[in-house]
Amino acid sequence: MSLNKFTSDIIQDSLISIGEAMFETIQRTSMSPIIYEALDYAVGITDGEGRLLAQGNGVITFLAAMSLVVEETLERFGEDNPLKEGDVIIANTPYVGGGTHLSDIAIITPVFYKGERVAFTVNKAHWTDIGGTNPGSVSTVSTEIYQEGLHFPFIKIKEEGKLNHAVIKMLEGNVRLPKSTLGDLFSGIAANDVGAGRIIKLIEKYGLDAYTQAAEEFMEYGERISLKELQKIPNGVYENTGCIENDGFGNGPFPLKLKIIISNENMICDFTGSHEQLKGPLNLSRTGLETAVRAAFKSITTPTLPANNGSFKHVKLICPDNTVVSANSPAPISVYYEVFLAAIDLLLKTLGPIVPEKLPAGHFRSVCVTYISGIHPVTNEFYVQAEALSGGWGACAFHDGNRGQFSYAHGESHNIPAETRERKYGVIVEEYSFHNEGGGYGEFQGGNGQYLTFKILSEEAFLTGAFLGYSIPTWGLNEGKEGSYNYFTVIRTDGTEETYNVVTNVKLNKGDRVKLVTATGGGYGNPENRPLEKILSDLKNGFITKEQALENYPKIAKA
Amino acid sequence: MRVATDIGGTFTDLVFFEYDKKNKEVTNVKVSKSSTTPGEYEKGILNTIKKIDLDLNTIEFFAHGTTVVINAITERKGAKTALITTEGFRDVLEIARGTRPDLYNFNFKKEAPFVARYLRHEVKERINYLGEIITPLDTRNVDEMVKYFISENVESIAICLLHAYKNPIHEKQLGELIKQNYPNIEVITSHEVSREWREYERTSSTVLSAYVKPIATKYLNNLTDNLRKLGYKNNLYIMQSNGGITTVEDVKANPITLIESGPASGMLGAVVLGRTIGKENLIVLDIGGTTAKCTLIENGTPKIVTTYNIEKTKTQAGFPILTPVIDIVEIGNGGGSIAWLDDGGKMRVGPKSAGANPGPSSYGKGGINFTTTDANVVCNRIHKDYFLGGELIPDFKSIEKAARPLCKELDMTIEEVARGVIRVANSNMVNALKSVSVNKGYDPRDFTLVVIGGGGPMHGAYLAEELQIPEVIIPLNAGVFSAFGMLMSDLRRDYIRTDVMDLNADNFSTLKNVFQEMKDEAVEAYRRDLYEKEDVAFEYYLDLRYDGQEHSVKLKLTDLSNLQMDFIEKAFNDLHKKRYAFSLTDTKIEIVNYHLVAEVIVNKPVIAKVIAKGKNVEDALISIENVDFDVYGIHKSNFYDREKLEPEMTIQGPAIVVEPSTSTVVPPKHQFIIDEYANIIISKIK
Repeated sequence: MSLNKFTSDIIQDSLISIGEAMFETIQRTSMSPIIYEALDYAVGITDGEGRLLAQGNGVITFLAAMSLVVEETLERFGEDNPLKEGDVIIANTPYVGGGTHLSDIAIITPVFYKGERVAFTVNKAHWTDIGGTNPGSVSTVSTEIYQEGLHFPFIKIKEEGKLNHAVIKMLEGNVRLPKSTLGDLFSGIAANDVGAGRIIKLIEKYGLDAYTQAAEEFMEYGERISLKELQKIPNGVYENTGCIENDGFGNGPFPLKLKIIISNENMICDFTGSHEQLKGPLNLSRTGLETAVRAAFKSITTPTLPANNGSFKHVKLICPDNTVVSANSPAPISVYYEVFLAAIDLLLKTLGPIVPEKLPAGHFRSVCVTYISGIHPVTNEFYVQAEALSGGWGACAFHDGNRGQFSYAHGESHNIPAETRERKYGVIVEEYSFHNEGGGYGEFQGGNGQYLTFKILSEEAFLTGAFLGYSIPTWGLNEGKEGSYNYFTVIRTDGTEETYNVVTNVKLNKGDRVKLVTATGGGYGNPENRPLEKILSDLKNGFITKEQALENYPKIAKA
Repeated sequence: MRVATDIGGTFTDLVFFEYDKKNKEVTNVKVSKSSTTPGEYEKGILNTIKKIDLDLNTIEFFAHGTTVVINAITERKGAKTALITTEGFRDVLEIARGTRPDLYNFNFKKEAPFVARYLRHEVKERINYLGEIITPLDTRNVDEMVKYFISENVESIAICLLHAYKNPIHEKQLGELIKQNYPNIEVITSHEVSREWREYERTSSTVLSAYVKPIATKYLNNLTDNLRKLGYKNNLYIMQSNGGITTVEDVKANPITLIESGPASGMLGAVVLGRTIGKENLIVLDIGGTTAKCTLIENGTPKIVTTYNIEKTKTQAGFPILTPVIDIVEIGNGGGSIAWLDDGGKMRVGPKSAGANPGPSSYGKGGINFTTTDANVVCNRIHKDYFLGGELIPDFKSIEKAARPLCKELDMTIEEVARGVIRVANSNMVNALKSVSVNKGYDPRDFTLVVIGGGGPMHGAYLAEELQIPEVIIPLNAGVFSAFGMLMSDLRRDYIRTDVMDLNADNFSTLKNVFQEMKDEAVEAYRRDLYEKEDVAFEYYLDLRYDGQEHSVKLKLTDLSNLQMDFIEKAFNDLHKKRYAFSLTDTKIEIVNYHLVAEVIVNKPVIAKVIAKGKNVEDALISIENVDFDVYGIHKSNFYDREKLEPEMTIQGPAIVVEPSTSTVVPPKHQFIIDEYANIIISKIK
């Protein structure tokens, strides 16, 4: 073997480090809190044909989107309308390659070296508002995509270096927070430029041939390792059923069907038989489902290695069109993330018993997003507070479940600090703590869910939210017990309480409280095997109550 | 005479300067090294003093850098700590930010917090973001709470209340109450640690400072007593993470400021060196046994950040600490870093290190792994008679054995593997160097690379070439550079305060008032150390952002008396564009943080020029041997003794310059000169 191997390794590492530089640019310059705090975005580098070379993810929901959105771009800009140097594409079409929901905007930049297209830099980020019926562009009661905001069907926001001012003006005229939206757009374009500049430098240093060879080897490497890991998993056919509890209109539950076939060559995930696409916005696009399948595959094969095109060569998705997990136009889709989590939950629940040392019991299974909009009581400016909430994770074969973590759909997401939230949105936070609503008992205890309670100080405000997992608790594994539920309540000034799970635009008045509740994760292993000192420690720390311990841990009752 | 000591992972260094009272030029430098004595670090220092029979009666200035704080944290050996928060917020410490960098590992395990839940208690009180009291502080349950803590053997209490960065009144009341009634327990409040917003970060910082407070206090008291017994009469100065020194009393109040004490002083040494030789734009790289650290210095000023995070990795969120730290990027890539192949057959170097024991395989002490140092030995870049300061002969049998699995797996000779290891290690370091330069909008071509630490001089020329940095400086005494930096350091305190407002001319008087309040605080703090108001010099910075952004960019204000809106606006727009490739010129600018630097310039020696005695280059020649320069090929190369080289000499590569603590590699097509301060400066021949 020649020393070129090291050159190749170095080019591959450089690509990853370029991805990191792009990622950092967006985090530092974007204007939407959901980007810079929730890190609800991803960046990617593909080769000239759209094959993924490197990506940086803040969340896992875009795992498959980076390469698929570039592939779709190539489809749409063929020989009759080719991409040119200086072009930048903007796209948010949900149903085709790389699509999720309209709020996630992809920016795609072809990279040219001496006139030849050698790469793409791409990113996709969740802008707080993209127009449509409701602030935050999310509604649980939309029935058509048109209610969910502006649609950019793969158009040039820059053409040969020139900004498309017509599109900018349209954008400004159709969103609620134009300043922040434009800030996010420029942040996305800048990140791609940063990546493109570094890729050109890399090619100048090592030459195009070495660069291309390194890219090929990198993908081959991704493929080799993931295949090796796949072959350690027992072959077989595994079937399971899950559900979407609600379509936003109170109908449901709707079944999700899954058959996983594992062989030495492939892991095939077949969702045939899942319910047809729903009337409300709890639908998932094929790209979203592809991401769920790839993420599940990655978690049991190569969780810590960088992902590239090769990593996913041996995982296949089968699903007919127009189902709840492969929706098409004009299905509403803004709450796709709840369906995404239902899909990944079903995948992991099916795989868990096959590789029990690699996967935990069920976690709280919802992004638990709420949107609150209103007029800031001090600045009189309009605000949209969009946030996800952390909750309890399932226990696993090695440790208790985590407390205070965001869902599987997240990653490097950050919560919104009370101190910045109160300034920005004019609410006042009263409680941010673990609860002990029970559940998750096992040799390893599921992580506690959480309360977040805040008081509205605006004259009036509107609450939208979608918390699935309100009627089906988190599941236990290997005789571990199930956990608890997600839901939220509005506590009126007169003390009356209203409980919600999927709802749009509940009117709130000054002094009303909103209390968000996330579930406790499932337990792992038989509760009889939990050591006494751990139960006592949980009691001392208030993670479980005395009554819960006596009822669910026989050792305590004896002692 | 001035003395500085620096405690490292393996060795405790002492550097001793004598200097001419009149022109302040250094006339004599002595170095003493002794093993670090974990657990009782002050012993190691005393050993270095005894080793060279130093009479402390004659010492006017004693400075000290220590790892006692960071070690207590990483080894989880701090005090049992309790936390008091605003009602409803005791779990903030454990929820943290909910982050999971390990995206695809669903068996992820979140690190346990430093205070268990049963020791996290709450008080009824509330202040809003405007600093107004919404609910007055209710102290009725405090007595019971503290008694419970004591019954649980708590030694230290952290207090962090919401919006205390804006209005610390409740924290002050609560802190005073507990201190008065329970003088034996350590108490620290969040506003004493940081006046920045974000409750988790501030709580974490306060908890960590409380966690190390008893151990740091005990250590500093012991050290002060021991030095006094040995005859030292003046103040003991401690190196902080912000690149300045301060008094022991100041540090004891908030010991978390020592978190990066050691690395900061090395970076500061480079600043002083740069000023001396007229180079103010530097990239500094310090390669030790386990890690490489780098920072960027612009216009003679290191960047200070307060977003420091310990134990942050690609899989863990780590623990944030809001304290002023020189902006250092650290990677697990040092001389002892182990080369290995991952599951896909890709060569990796680090972050696992062979450490000092057993050390690299070439030490022959049972190290079975092939490391970067071993690769340099195979390429013959380290003279075998000078290996490890001449204390050891490299064990080639052991090296070969360590390399064998790599050779077999890769189907390569040991020489090829060695070149590969150095290439991969260099690439790791290049990426770290880019993250402090290119990624932040700086062009490395405008900088000079300063390499320090045992490993720096071996890699410097290659890294500079890759980044197109024109010159590499290997300073004199590169091996004890941290201690050197401390001797050259001034007293420094950083005050940072979140006070969000629009940046506009109407707010200039408020702006000046905020800075004035901070200045008063600084002057008062220095007064306690017996410095006068007139001794204190100030620098003013603002953390600014466009309205709607979350992250800010630090801008230095040149003059507070003559603020001009258009000038500041333009400076910020330019800075933003430089760092992030765009500016939003018609968007409102917001002030997030005020940052005041208050320095007292102390009497310091100056680095003296070395006088050339007209020696010949040939006199410094040790031997001529084949050295493998990777892409430049294998060449017969001159090995020189650094001590015998003197100013005005210019020597062409290929060459290796040898000194006890390191080797400087000068590849073909490069040359080096010895400057008038006896630094080595390498450049590429055009």
